[in-house]
Amino acid sequence: MRAVCWHGKQDVRVDTVPDPEIVQKGDVIVKVALTCICGSDLHLYNGYVPTMKKGDILGHEFVGEIVAACPGVTHFRVGDRVIVPFPISCGACWYCKHELWSLCDNTNPNSWMMEHIYGDTGGGIFGYSHLYGGYAGGQAEYVRVPFADVGLEKIPDGIPYEQVVLLTDIMPTGYQAAVYCNINPGDTVAVWGCGPVGLLAMKSAKLLGAERVIGIDRFPDRLQMAHSQCQAEVLNYEEVDVAEQLQNMTGGRGPDSCIDAVGLEARGTGIEDVYDLVKQTLRLETDRASALRQLVRACRKGGTLSISGVYSGFIDKFPMGAIFAKGLTVRGGQAHVHKYLPHLVKLVAEQQIDPSSIITHRMSLEDAPAGYRTFLKKQDSCIKIALTPEHAAPKTEPASP
Amino acid sequence: METSATEQSRAYRGQSRQKRVNVGPGERKASMAGGAALALSGLWSIGRRNYLSGLAMIASGGMLLYRGQTGHCGMYEAMGVDTVHTQGSGLRIEKVVTIGLPPHQVYEFWRHLDNLPRFMKHLESVQVTGERTSHWKAVGPGGLSTEWDAEMMEDTPGQQISWHSVGSADIPNKGTVEFKEAPGNRGTEVRVSIDYYPPGGTAGRAAMKIAHGLNAQQLEEDLKRLKQILEVGEETTARRTA
Repeated sequence: MRAVCWHGKQDVRVDTVPDPEIVQKGDVIVKVALTCICGSDLHLYNGYVPTMKKGDILGHEFVGEIVAACPGVTHFRVGDRVIVPFPISCGACWYCKHELWSLCDNTNPNSWMMEHIYGDTGGGIFGYSHLYGGYAGGQAEYVRVPFADVGLEKIPDGIPYEQVVLLTDIMPTGYQAAVYCNINPGDTVAVWGCGPVGLLAMKSAKLLGAERVIGIDRFPDRLQMAHSQCQAEVLNYEEVDVAEQLQNMTGGRGPDSCIDAVGLEARGTGIEDVYDLVKQTLRLETDRASALRQLVRACRKGGTLSISGVYSGFIDKFPMGAIFAKGLTVRGGQAHVHKYLPHLVKLVAEQQIDPSSIITHRMSLEDAPAGYRTFLKKQDSCIKIALTPEHAAPKTEPASP
Repeated sequence: METSATEQSRAYRGQSRQKRVNVGPGERKASMAGGAALALSGLWSIGRRNYLSGLAMIASGGMLLYRGQTGHCGMYEAMGVDTVHTQGSGLRIEKVVTIGLPPHQVYEFWRHLDNLPRFMKHLESVQVTGERTSHWKAVGPGGLSTEWDAEMMEDTPGQQISWHSVGSADIPNKGTVEFKEAPGNRGTEVRVSIDYYPPGGTAGRAAMKIAHGLNAQQLEEDLKRLKQILEVGEETTARRTA
């Protein structure tokens, strides 16, 4: 089959690789109908996530049809159209039983790596480095999906793949970011980053009752999208002092909740930005923290910081004193996708939300390398790229033992 | 990545920056005495204009003094040797994992000793040879293999099993596994400690450890596999093809 493979920093290629097969009793093989490039894939692309190996298949946002299932799988059949959450969860450990799906104890076969870095492990993730288990990803024609009974969600008839493909990651990620804000009537939620997660976090915040949402970015077309799609007020951080402006907009209080939808490759302005860039380049810190510092500074007293952007290691000059003095709550982490999927599928079916509205680019899987470049450079007003595998050549169906 | 850390995964995580004491008290005294003597003879050599050898002696004397004074040996650390935290002349590794099943169920699985190779990667087989006896085969990297007979010393259903090797084992060993109910319905805390008594003193100890991968990292991964087998039904894998 054809698959998007990582070959090194800013080097992805579409390779011909062996088809996946059923390996364990919870497995199904999904024929990918649609897959996306996630903002967090760019961290892999830029070489910020360790433990990538040449030939690793990328991608953790994909939907498709089951073409083979182990007899051990009871909830699904060949022919079912399914949404595949990006975290792989066993459903049996304490964390899964407590709906902390992305923190699953059992699905990362390389758990020792994460334990050495972070003190404990999270679950495996499709196509997201050996640190996260070394699973093959979904930017491919076929994917082996383990723990199918635990993870998958059926796509109701009549809903096109495009409307649900973002339910695999960024929609639940944005939704969880808003849920973590504990939104009360009258609340203002500020969102750093008007990329895919940021936009969906703004939509979710509105859905959960926020009175105002404010989007912060430096790209005019993204700010425009936040304004038109999410009814957000917008700030360009290259033009204004964000913290000061947010104070002005909220009667001197600051936003009730602040969402970080940026992560470790944040850009700031001026000397602080240079400082972070230099330190990150020299590996003196792993993540750039300018957005996170602004969140802390801007948030109202007793407010919440909700972190959905990916961070991987250590940051420098983090204003812990402000977190303490202002009594802030900090929440974050990978989305517990399984927890939100049924509700989000319902919202899509009832047309209360249409995540596909943020897809700006549609291309063939074969064009993935160009897609990565476009997305990285944010050319052509690129927000979200959906890739379609061609499944053209007559080929052998994935075998089951 | 982090390979040096894996070699030192013993229970001192979080204090990696602080130099850890890994030299036993007897050795520390010997280091101090030897280091002082070396340094003095180094000074004496320099006095007699043998600069090069004198400096070398002072340097190594200084290192020995430092080793004695701090109880930390960089060489030991690199080899994964620790002469403080070992019992007698042996090498002890200890790990604990929480498994979401009641103690008697975890005990039952372990008590069927032929289950052990399913999650202990260095074990090739465990054959039950009698009511309290069994025959163990282990294989290390490079095909080095070793066999021994073991005898169960304690067997308290649902609580504890302990065993020791008998006869002429290449690497005499003993071990204990405890099964304790975890708080808050979390299942069972499984605590394993194993002592090895490799031949040939410190060098043999390091060699054995490297050859067989019988280290804390290995045991930790073994216990993770045990947890997967009991909670999920099989070891999880990221393999794509059967």
